[in-house]
Formats: sequence, structure tokens, C-alpha cells
Amino acid sequence: MASITLQNLVKKFGETVTAVAGVDLDVSDGEFMVVVGPSGCGKTTTLNMISGFEEPTSGSIMIGERVVTHLEPGDRGLGMVFQDLALFPHMTVFENIAFGMRVDKTADAEVKERVSKVATTMKISHLLSKKPAQCSGGEAQRVALARTIVTEPQVLLMDEPLSSLDAKLRIEMRTELKRLHEELKSTFLYVTHDQAEAMTMADRIMVMESGYVQQIDTPLGIYRKPTNQFVGTFFGQPTMNVVSGRIDNGGAPRFVSEYFELSIEPDAVPASATGKAINLGVRSENVTIGNEGAAGEVKLIEPLGDETLVFFSSGDEEFLVAKVDAEREFGPGDKIHFAFQSSAIHFFDAESGVRLE
Amino acid sequence: MAQATIKERKSLSAWLSQEKVFRLIPFIMVEATFLLLLAIPFMLTIYISLLKWRANRPFEQAYFHGLLNYVRVLTTEDFWWALGRTFYFAGTAVFFELVIGFLLAMLAYKQFRGRRIYITIFLIPMMVVPVVGGYNFSMIYIDSGPLNQILAPITEAMGVNPRIRWLSHPIAAQWAIIIADVWQWTSLTFLIFLSGFTALPQQLTNAARVLGASRWQIFWKVHLPLLKPAIMIAVIIRSMEALKLFDLSVLLTFGGPGTSTETIAFFLWRQVWQFNKYSFGAAASIILLFIFGALIFYGIYLLVRERSIVEEESMR
Repeated sequence: MASITLQNLVKKFGETVTAVAGVDLDVSDGEFMVVVGPSGCGKTTTLNMISGFEEPTSGSIMIGERVVTHLEPGDRGLGMVFQDLALFPHMTVFENIAFGMRVDKTADAEVKERVSKVATTMKISHLLSKKPAQCSGGEAQRVALARTIVTEPQVLLMDEPLSSLDAKLRIEMRTELKRLHEELKSTFLYVTHDQAEAMTMADRIMVMESGYVQQIDTPLGIYRKPTNQFVGTFFGQPTMNVVSGRIDNGGAPRFVSEYFELSIEPDAVPASATGKAINLGVRSENVTIGNEGAAGEVKLIEPLGDETLVFFSSGDEEFLVAKVDAEREFGPGDKIHFAFQSSAIHFFDAESGVRLE
Repeated sequence: MAQATIKERKSLSAWLSQEKVFRLIPFIMVEATFLLLLAIPFMLTIYISLLKWRANRPFEQAYFHGLLNYVRVLTTEDFWWALGRTFYFAGTAVFFELVIGFLLAMLAYKQFRGRRIYITIFLIPMMVVPVVGGYNFSMIYIDSGPLNQILAPITEAMGVNPRIRWLSHPIAAQWAIIIADVWQWTSLTFLIFLSGFTALPQQLTNAARVLGASRWQIFWKVHLPLLKPAIMIAVIIRSMEALKLFDLSVLLTFGGPGTSTETIAFFLWRQVWQFNKYSFGAAASIILLFIFGALIFYGIYLLVRERSIVEEESMR
């Protein structure tokens, strides 16, 4: 059991490419930390530096109380699950799981005992004599996990391990991983580009974009208080509505965009948001459709079963989406009125994208 | 009359344009080529092998001899010596080609400056026409030639006569041929192993590293087993070729001194074209066909089996 501490970790490739531009992170003992961001944001490079496959340009890495910045991957006391699982194709499942003990020259009896124990935990006992190629996607996933946890690493790193699975299995494995985390109580660092995976599994999330850390917070903290427009739009399905405009503060505050105007409760408007160009962000579940507010026209509906997504436009260009109760029926072409729940509105600086409070 | 011809022609083209006829055309071509180029000479060889026919007698006067030629071949000591020698040459040469090719590929598969230039240079020997390569070696091996001059400091220090008779000492001549073959064909094994190394998945190496394997363990437990198909291919392809060794024997030593560098292919050629023992040669070549055929089929069987294992493993 150990914590992970990254201090001002930088990785440059050549002179010009900065993949990771100074990451500071404290993952406490036993925490499930998810690093999330779009492709090329530096999350995998960060993971590779922690695992030891990449040498950092500067900065330091600690696992527990030990500085491991320049140690070999095998000496860092960590386990890793790879994106394509990286099971050894020429070995049986048993030998795959035993590999870490074999290279340590562990006694045969102990190897057998530990492998069969972990195989029982992961429900793969019936696969031990098979080759990885004969396992299904989900089974191979369990084998890869078993191989990693059998060596009892202090820290478990995972590099998008679920990306090769189909949608249904992926959701099942999420639950399984969370259960495994509860059982092992070791520190998990999980890298993904899927915001839904991050939201569902993480104790805390670190959001990265073009090499910089954008925000580190709990899933709900990130969802409710995104630190900037990028984080706001990255999380949540469907994507947060963003409308550019300004706050007109003559008497009751009003949000004025090119196509519509809406009044907002005075308490909800931060002082720093008035009198300049802003982007207003509001999630689909906080858009209300009713008899009051600005006028719009329904363009498209997407029923989700329990709820329905209503895509509508205001004016000709401003497209927005609202999540409404499935009982309410809309059709393309319907004339509607919409408003935003004042308390759930996010204000972002139009130029920097920073959250205004 | 004219009308009838036209009608006939029409029906002929109509007959040709039928789907089932059209599909037969490539088949007929292949069969015809097979018959002309393979089957007829093959039958003729079998036929000749059953005759008593030497060049001192015209073909019409050759008479049937039964299996006596086969008995003679199998009881000729030189035939077995030449066969054994061929296996010795092929085995030794292929062994060195595999080891050196493997080591060179290990050096060249990682990224470094000038890698492409090295690879190109390593591949040149394979591109040299074997006759040219053999001729060059015949000059290198001259008693007062460049090889002995380069080796002179070593041989003199060891107290050996620096004029090693590369082409006229029975054992040195055998090594001369092996060295020339290794020089020429290590390129091929290098190429096969290089592609094998390049195809090794980096993630597997990383997985082994995280699990604490040393570089040595990664090589033995992960890389080498994964390279097994490449090794098999190199062994089989090179062995098949090396068993046919002929040009180097001819160019460097002409089988000599004595028969110490006479390979089986050279033995055959000599029986037929020097000693004019046509039916003996035919019988010997049929026997060889069966021996080599069996070896090649076994090799192909191993390859196919290896391939099916690889395919099964990459199914996912």
C-alpha cells in the first residue's frame, strides 16, 4: 500500500514537443484516481513516466516514501494493466499469471498456491491451461488483472484497459474493477479518455489537456464546478450547452446573446461576470422547457427511455439541448419557450475560458 | 460451302464462350506447362534410369537394365560420401548463418543513427550473383592472397605457416566453401530475423519489465519464443537451398582436392557430364529426389504447423 506523489513532472520530446508540462499530483494510499483527457493530452505519457517506460525531462516521482524517478519499472513495486492487455501469447494462462513469480524464482509450490488463489478470486480457474488466444475478451481482461495483482503491487496502473471490450462488457468490468479496488485496498491510477468511466469509478479525477492539469477534484465536484469551459464541456452527456453573450445588469440581471435574452436571479450572477463578453454554460438537465422564457423551435428529439433529449434552436444559429421527462411529448417543428435554472448556470470568461465566480 | 464454314466458326466461338469452357482455359494452360516442363522430363529420367546407357553407345542401342542402376548407386561409396559431405556443409553453414544473422538482427533492430545504411550494407551479399561471389572468393583464397596476408600476424604468432592452402588442403578447402556460403547467405537470415524482431510487440516487453524480468529473462522467456516462427522459416529455407550447393564447389575447388569438397549436386553433374554415365546419373537423381523430397515435405509440414499456431494466436 502506498501513495503516489508527482512533483512538477515534465516530459519533452525533442526541443519543441512538450507532452507533459509540469504535473503535480498526490494520490493518497488506497485511492482510485482516474486521469482523463482527450487523445494527446499527456495522460499516457504521465503514466509511462510513473511506470518507468519514459524518463522524465524534469521533476520527481515518489511511490510511498521512496523516490523512484530513475528506477527500473520492475523495481518500483507497481503493477500495470495495458491497453491491449499484453498477455504473453506463447504461454498458458497459468504461466502468464505466474510470470512475475517465475522471474523472481519463487518456489513451485508457492507459485501454484498463489496462482490458484488469484484465479479463484478472478473466476478464471477453468482457464488456467488455455492459451490467451482461446479466451474471450472479458476473460483475457481478468487474466491480465490476475497477472497484475498476483504480485501484490502497492500501486496499480491501468492504461485504458477496457477500451478493447464491447460496450456492455465495458460497463460490467467497471463495476468489477471498483469491487476489486474495494477488496485489494491498493492505490489505483487509471488512465482513460472516456469521461463516463472516470465519473463512475473514480474517487478523484485529474483532467488533463495539452500537457497541463486542468482540474483535480471528485467526480461530482468536477461535474458541478468545472474550473474552466474545457472541463465543463468534457464531462457530461450530452455536452454542456455553451452560449456566448454578456450580462446586462440594468435592474434585474439579464443574459443577452445574439439571438435571445433571459433573466437570471441576481444571486446567481458573480460580480466578475458583468460588463464583459462571457460564455454561459448550462447542462441539458438544467434547461427547462415551458411557457416562459425565450422562444425556440424543436429540431430533433432523442428518446432515451426514461428521459428525452430535445434539440432546439433559438433564432437561426443557436442550437441547444434540453433533457426533459419522457412523459412530455415533442416533435420537430414545435414552438417552445425555454429558460435556464439560475443556480446551475456556469459563467466562463469568453477569452480564457476560466470559470468566473 | 462458305456458309457452312461461317456457321461452324460461329458455333466454335459460341462453344468457346461457354462459361464452363472459359473456366477450363487457365487449367489447361497450367496442365500443359506441367506436362511439358515437368512430367515428360521426369518420366524420361525414370525411363533412362532403368536402361543401361552410356555415351559410348547410341540411345537406340541402350537396353533395359531393370533396377540395377539403383543398386549401383546405393552401393557406390562416393555417393554416400558426397551426400554426407553435403549435409555437413549445409549443417555447418546454416548454423553459422543463423547465429550471425540473429546477432546482426539483434544489433540492427533498435533505432539508431545510420541504421538504414547498416541494414543496406548487410543485405548486399545476398544480391551478389553467386558466380561473381564465388569468383571473388577464389581470388581472396589464393595462397599469397589478401586473406592470408590479413591473417599473417595471427598465424605467425601461433607459429603456423601463414600460407594456408585454402583451396588445396582438404579440410581448409571445406571451410573455404563454408565461409563463402556463410558470407553470401547470412544476409537472408539477417533479413528474416530483422523482420521477426521488428514485429515483436513493445507492450509485451513492457509488461515483462513491470513484472520485474531482467533483460536476459525477457530475451529468453518472451522474445525468443515469439521469434520461433522466424527461426523455423530461416532454418527451413536456408537448409533447402544449402543442400543444393553446387556453384561454390565448382568455382572454388572443382570438388577437390580429391573429392573433399564434392557435394551431392556436383557428384551428380560429374557422373553424367564427365563420366557420361547417363543412366547411373538418372537413377542417382531419382534417389536424391526422394530423399530431399521427404526432407522438404517435413520442413513444409513444420512450417504450416507453426503458421497455424501463430494464426491461432493472432485470432483475437
